[in-house]
Amino acid sequence: MATDHIRNFSIIAHIDHGKSTLADRMLELTGTVSSRQKRDQMLDSMDLERERGITIKASAVTMRYEHEGREYMLNLIDTPGHVDFHYEVSRALAACEGAILVVDATQGVQAQTVANAYLAVHNNVEILGAINKIDLPAAQPDVVGDEIEHVLGIRKNECFRISGKSGIGVPELLEAVVTLLPPPKDRSDEPAAALIFDSLYDEYRGVICYVRVFAGCLKPKQKIRLMGAGRSYVVGELGKFTPQMTPVDQLGSGEVGYVVAAIRDLHDVHVGDTITDDIHPAPKPLPGYVAPMQMVFSDFYPGNMTDYPKLRAAFERLSLNDASFTFIPQNSPALGFGFRCGFLGLLHMEIIQERLERENDVDVVQTAPTVSYEYKTTDGGVKRIDSPSELPDRSAIEEIREPMVKLEIITGVDSIGGIMRLAEGRRCKLVKTDYLSPTRVMLEYTAPLAEIVYDFYDQLKGISHGYATMDYEFLGFEAADLVKIDILVNKNIVDALSLIVHRSNAEHRGRKLLIKLRKAIPRHQFEIPLQVAIGGKIIARESIKPFRKDVLAKLYGGDVTRKMKVLKRQKEGKKRLKSIGMVQIPQEAFMSILDTGED
Amino acid sequence: MTAPSLYVHIPLCVRKCPYCGFYSEPVAQHNPARLVGALAQEVRQTVRDPQVPTVYVGGGSPTCMPMDLLGRLLYEITRTVRGFEEFTVEANPGQVDRPILQFLRNIGVNRLSLGGQSFQPQELKTLGRLHTVEQIVEAVEMAREVGFENIGVDLIFAIPGSTMESWRANLKRAIDLGVTHISTYALTYEEDTPLTADRDAGRITPIDEETDREMYELAIDMLTDAGYEHYEISNFARPGFACRHNLGYWANRPYNGVGPSAASHIQRRRCTRIADIRQYIHAVENELDPIAEIQETSALEFACETAVLNLRRIRGIDWAEYRATTGYDAMDLFAAVIEEHRKNGMLTVDDSGIRLTRPALPIADSILCDFSDIDD
Repeated sequence: MATDHIRNFSIIAHIDHGKSTLADRMLELTGTVSSRQKRDQMLDSMDLERERGITIKASAVTMRYEHEGREYMLNLIDTPGHVDFHYEVSRALAACEGAILVVDATQGVQAQTVANAYLAVHNNVEILGAINKIDLPAAQPDVVGDEIEHVLGIRKNECFRISGKSGIGVPELLEAVVTLLPPPKDRSDEPAAALIFDSLYDEYRGVICYVRVFAGCLKPKQKIRLMGAGRSYVVGELGKFTPQMTPVDQLGSGEVGYVVAAIRDLHDVHVGDTITDDIHPAPKPLPGYVAPMQMVFSDFYPGNMTDYPKLRAAFERLSLNDASFTFIPQNSPALGFGFRCGFLGLLHMEIIQERLERENDVDVVQTAPTVSYEYKTTDGGVKRIDSPSELPDRSAIEEIREPMVKLEIITGVDSIGGIMRLAEGRRCKLVKTDYLSPTRVMLEYTAPLAEIVYDFYDQLKGISHGYATMDYEFLGFEAADLVKIDILVNKNIVDALSLIVHRSNAEHRGRKLLIKLRKAIPRHQFEIPLQVAIGGKIIARESIKPFRKDVLAKLYGGDVTRKMKVLKRQKEGKKRLKSIGMVQIPQEAFMSILDTGED
Repeated sequence: MTAPSLYVHIPLCVRKCPYCGFYSEPVAQHNPARLVGALAQEVRQTVRDPQVPTVYVGGGSPTCMPMDLLGRLLYEITRTVRGFEEFTVEANPGQVDRPILQFLRNIGVNRLSLGGQSFQPQELKTLGRLHTVEQIVEAVEMAREVGFENIGVDLIFAIPGSTMESWRANLKRAIDLGVTHISTYALTYEEDTPLTADRDAGRITPIDEETDREMYELAIDMLTDAGYEHYEISNFARPGFACRHNLGYWANRPYNGVGPSAASHIQRRRCTRIADIRQYIHAVENELDPIAEIQETSALEFACETAVLNLRRIRGIDWAEYRATTGYDAMDLFAAVIEEHRKNGMLTVDDSGIRLTRPALPIADSILCDFSDIDD
């Protein structure tokens, strides 16, 4: 198809602003799916996505649309709406010429609206504004229009007023996709260059690459090369998502579709990589490729040592369809054999956790999330560590650097005070305050990732009664006065509980931690000392008193079945504990470590 | 192979005590004559081998029934079984007089278990007991006079309002009474009892754990000093007077339980009877099976039960006895668990077997639970 009859676009929005519903309506209006076969949120294919109402993996669908007697091919590229998947959003946008920015008429501009809009601008994508859910009683399209104009610079009167649910305004919006968004450039004469903007693993076909062809064309049996990875394959099948996978005999310049090339391992394919012809390659890859960077880490140990191979198999399965998740074997002296897992962010971690529990019958003990650090050695070298326990002795270190992020929070003016206090306590530096309207404000901070990685978001929601939204973006590593604190349980350092914190916070954090541990570790047959140490110096201590009485008064003939059940339950409870220096530590104890909440 | 022991359950009381979690109903709302008829019939049907080693008639309060009915039941039992070495009847101190005791003794009952619970009037009131302190003393004296040599008294400690002093006094009274057997139970807050509701509503304050433990330790010290042998977590007896019937439970030997809610355990099969007096009577009278639940235990489950039960005894698990009972070697089954608890000072291990150490007794469940199943 001629490129001027193609439109490639995304819908970008804050979570729950109605992106998936709008996409469904478009699929219906273009006859891509009949309303009979449609399921709500067509584009969310994983159960988990559908259940959580969020889109984890980008997805693409090709629609046929008639305008003024001519047929157009509209490629809708779906994007994840969450902070952790910035890079994937960015690659999806790089595959488009246009984007529809959806803002909920009852919620207004939110942190991810802003982040996504900036990403679109950054990728030179033309934006159509759409104010959604205008049929709700609480809708304030005028106010929201002002916000969009003020923050995003899209003229209020150019915003479409729509309802994805009822379909109001959606036909007009679809027409605007054709009339207002630019077509792709025709570069069919150049050597093939296609951007991989997503990939998934299919048990039968191997890796399926989602691609946008920028130049030349791809055909079945063609020998192709992944320019970043430097590996060659032969195309087995090409096709489009309609939304089922429908094979085609070529993907031409400007088109969007999928490529199957007998690639067995998802890790050989990186989002952002360029596919080119192996014999007549493009002179250079398409711009913007970055390897995914894991910023949040957590250790997973099998609840039962014999489950170690089972846990490994589970992680292998999970990484088959998520290349941005990493896991490396870990041997903790305190906890035995496990895995250190890397995630793009907290939501990403939660998703993996849930899938691990849902799809695999493995009991795991998980440590609290931490971030990567860098340290400069006295001889000038810089090293990156993913776990506090990897930090060498203080004498060998010149400085410790922590990851910093640009943090944007949008909130109502009435909760500014509380949020500023929260941010202050987390070492965040206010960079900018911007009023979106007389009642709503955007705060921009430079923040240490470590301080927002655990419960910052929950606290933010609490302070703002659920109204504040946030987004963050990695800036780089920055030196800070950081120290490693060690936790000793029954005089043994539990390396999995070691923590890197700011010196000014060390004692306070340590004490709170001990109080939490004291609550989380069950009483034992003996007294258990709990201590916090910095470099061998004890800075705080607590103790867990032993339990004194735990015995059934009576056990006679008629009670045996019932009492055996009680004892088995008691034993089951012990099983979820990890034994360290004769002390049994439950999983909550590990999680409580970073819980800085005031309770 | 010895025949199973026999337990007969009489789930009737004048009034149920507020702490009691067992199945029991007020005697006034039932027809005890029909119940006795059904019990006698079930005893006849159940006991295949009359060489029953021990008989135990418990409740409820067997003595809340009119004497002629209790007499008829006991007569039926003695007609059915023979050769028993121990025949216990539980008695409420407020419900016995000399003729009843004389009758029990004459018919062949040779062990009396008295639910004394406390020698403090206030504590008896808290427990909702219907007898007085004096009645306990009188019952023991009368029982002895009519020829009972083996008399046991139950005592409850950690009663709300009790103190170390009141507990010490209780123990002393029991010792001074010269009974041959003393069971000491910490008051437990069973589910769905008025006592537990009172606790949950804050109307009563349970004794703290530390005091509970001290009371238990005091019982061990005072009773062993007085010449009682501590032979099970909660049980003490003059030498030779340990309760053989209960020792059978802790050895995991077979027994038949007859009566509403009673349990039997024969060849790894546990049967629980209907826990409803009327339904039970109806079933027996109509020659229907009064069984409500049957549970088959695997050989391994049986081995675990046996370990838990054996460890309730102060002599613990005896290697040879255990092997004879279960077919398993206890050390093979529980090596890791035994080693862990031995290291922590909770188990003594030697050539004859394993047993809980003194510090392990108050926290026995935290050790026993590790024997409750086998990790795969």
